[in-house]
Amino acid sequence: MTKVVIMGRDEKICARIVGPTGAEHRRLANKVMEEALEQANLSFNEISCVIATGYGRINVPFADRQITELTCHARGVVSLFPKVRIAIDIGGQDAKGLKISNGKLIDFVMNDRCAAGTGRFLEVIAAALGLKLEELGEISLKSTNRVKISSTCTVFAQQEVIQRISEGIPLEDIVAGLHDAIASRVAKMVKRLKIEPDVVFTGGVAKNAGVVHALKENIGGEILVPDEPLLTGAIGAAILGKELTLKAVAKGETIQRKERRLEEATFFNRGN
Amino acid sequence: MTEKERKGLDRVREIYQDRAHRAKELKAEGKQVMGYLCLYPVLEMLTAVDLAPYRILGDMEEPITKADACLPTVVCPFIRSALDLGLKGKYDFLDGVVMAHICDVGEKTSHIWRTYLNPSYFYFIDTPHTVHKAAQQQLKEQLKDFKKTLESFTGRELSLDKLKQAIKTYNRQRALVRELYDLRKPDPPLISGAETLQVMVALMSIPVDEGIDLLRQVISEVKEGKNGPPKKPARLLVWGSIIDNTALIRMIEELEANVVIDDTCVGSRAYFPNVELTDDPLDGLVYRYLVGLKCPRTFRESVFGETKKDYIKDLESRFGYIKDYAKEWNVNGVILQSVRYCDIHGYEVPGLRDYLDHIGLPNIYLEHDYSEAALAPLRTRAQAFLEVIG
Repeated sequence: MTKVVIMGRDEKICARIVGPTGAEHRRLANKVMEEALEQANLSFNEISCVIATGYGRINVPFADRQITELTCHARGVVSLFPKVRIAIDIGGQDAKGLKISNGKLIDFVMNDRCAAGTGRFLEVIAAALGLKLEELGEISLKSTNRVKISSTCTVFAQQEVIQRISEGIPLEDIVAGLHDAIASRVAKMVKRLKIEPDVVFTGGVAKNAGVVHALKENIGGEILVPDEPLLTGAIGAAILGKELTLKAVAKGETIQRKERRLEEATFFNRGN
Repeated sequence: MTEKERKGLDRVREIYQDRAHRAKELKAEGKQVMGYLCLYPVLEMLTAVDLAPYRILGDMEEPITKADACLPTVVCPFIRSALDLGLKGKYDFLDGVVMAHICDVGEKTSHIWRTYLNPSYFYFIDTPHTVHKAAQQQLKEQLKDFKKTLESFTGRELSLDKLKQAIKTYNRQRALVRELYDLRKPDPPLISGAETLQVMVALMSIPVDEGIDLLRQVISEVKEGKNGPPKKPARLLVWGSIIDNTALIRMIEELEANVVIDDTCVGSRAYFPNVELTDDPLDGLVYRYLVGLKCPRTFRESVFGETKKDYIKDLESRFGYIKDYAKEWNVNGVILQSVRYCDIHGYEVPGLRDYLDHIGLPNIYLEHDYSEAALAPLRTRAQAFLEVIG
C-alpha cells in the first residue's frame, strides 16, 4: 500500500491517503502526491520538507530525504503512544519489531525469510477460503476450538488449510489457527528484543481483531492499536520532516538538497 | 595499456575481474598451482616447495546448478558455490588442492571434492578444533606428513631453510597488509572497504612475492590520497563469515558509512597473525595456524577449565581483540554478518553481541544468502542501523 500524510507545523494531519501500490504506481509517486496536495488544498511549493520511506523510498525523486520505515514507524508510534517500549508492525511485505527507549528507536528485528508471518500470508489464505481479508478477524473470534496450523510456509499452509476444510473443520477454527500461526511466529521474533510494556501493534494486519487477540495471547500482555494502524509510518515520516525542517531553519540552513520537481521517477523510464 | 604495465589499484581491479588469469599464465610457464580452501592450509609450506598457492573462492554472481546434486541445500552457500565452480570445471587449472577440517561442511565437502574432481594431488589437514598443547602437537605431526606428500608430489625437498625463507616472505606480506589497513585509520579513511576487499582477493590469487610488489604499489598510491572515500558519520567494523565479493561492503558504503576495519577471512583475519620464527619452523607455523588464527571454528577458553565460570572474562578472551580494533580504527558501530547456515558464525553471534553491548559498541546482525540479488532487504536493515547510531 502507498500512504501519504501531509502535516502542519502543529502536527495536525491535513491530508491522508492509503491506496494500493502496484507495479505502475511505484513509478507514479508524483500522482499520489498531487492527490494528497489536492486533499490538503495546498500547492507543492508550500511543502517545506518531503520524506520518503518504506520499500519504495528510492522511487520518490522529489523527496528531500529517504529514511527507513523502521525509524519512521518508531517516530510515528511514539507520537501516538509516548510510553511505548515495543512496537510490532505487520504489513503486507514484512513484519518488524521495534524497541524504543525514551522515544528513540534503539534496536529492531525484521522477518527475513518469507511471506509467512506477514499480511500477504492472510491475503493468500483468505483467497483460498473464498473470504474477504476484512472478514477474517470477525470470523475467527467465533472460534471455540482453534486448530493448529503447523506450517511456517505460506504455500504449505494453504495446502494444510485445504486439508482441514476437507476434514470438515469449521471455518472459524481454521481462521483462528491461522491468526495464531502468524502471531506466534511474529511474537517469537519480537521476543528477541525482550518485550516490555507498552506494546503497540501497527500495520495493516493490526486491523484484524483476530490477530490482535492472538498476539495478546502469544506475548502474554496488553496490546495497544492506533485508530489508523496503516498510517503510523507516514505520520512518523512527516514528524521527522517537520523536526528536520525546524532544525535547519534554526541554523539558518535549508533542508532541500536539490531543486524539487513533482515528476515521475525516471529510474524506470526507458531511453533516458 | 598492456596487462603487465598496470599497477597498483588498476592491477588489483584487473585481477579481481579475472582471478585465475595470473595462475593460468604461471601454469603455462611451467609452475604448479595449488588450490586451497579457507585459511587453514599452511601456505608457507606450499611456497617452500615452489608451488603457487591459489585460494579457492565462490562466485556470488554464478547460480549454483551442479553442487546441489552432491551437497544438501541447507549448508553454507559459500562452500556450495565453491564446489559448484569446481564441478563446472572452473578450477581445472589447479595441479592439486589442499583442504582442511575447517568446519563440518568444509570437511565433508573436501572429501566430495576429492571423489568427484579427483585432483592429481590432494591433502586434507585434520586441523584440531581446540588450542591445547596436545592439539598443537597433533597438528605438528600432520604437518610433517603433509611435508612428505608435498615432497613426493613435487620431487623437490622442503628444506628448513626454504621454509624459514617462506615464513619471512609471508610475514613481510602480512606487515604490508597491516600498513594498508593503517591507512584506514584517518577520517575519512584513505581507501574504502570495498577496494580493500578487492586488494585482499587479488593477494589470494597471485604468488606471495608478486603480492608484496602489488601491495607496495597500492600503499604508495593510496597514500597520495587522491581517490579516497568521503567523510561519513559512521565508521564501521564488519565481522563475520567469508566475504569474497564487494557487493555487501559496497552496499554499506553507499549509505552514510565507511567500513574501516574487518574481522573476516578475506581480510584482517587472514593477514594479521604473524608466524614466529622458531628453531623448528613447524612450531611457529602450528602456533600461528591453530592459536593465532581467530576463526570461530576453533574453540578457545580463557583459562583451561574456566569456560563459562566467568562469562565476561570468557568473552573478553574470545573477543578482546575486536575491542582493540574498534579503538585503533575509531569505530562507532559493528555489523555482524554471516552467510546463511554458517553454524560456526551463527553460534558466535549471541556471545559477541553480549560482549559488544557490554563494552557499549552498537551492533547489528545481518544474515544473507551469498547472492547479490538478495541484498535489497539488508539495505533497509543497514540503513536503519545507521539511523539508530547516528
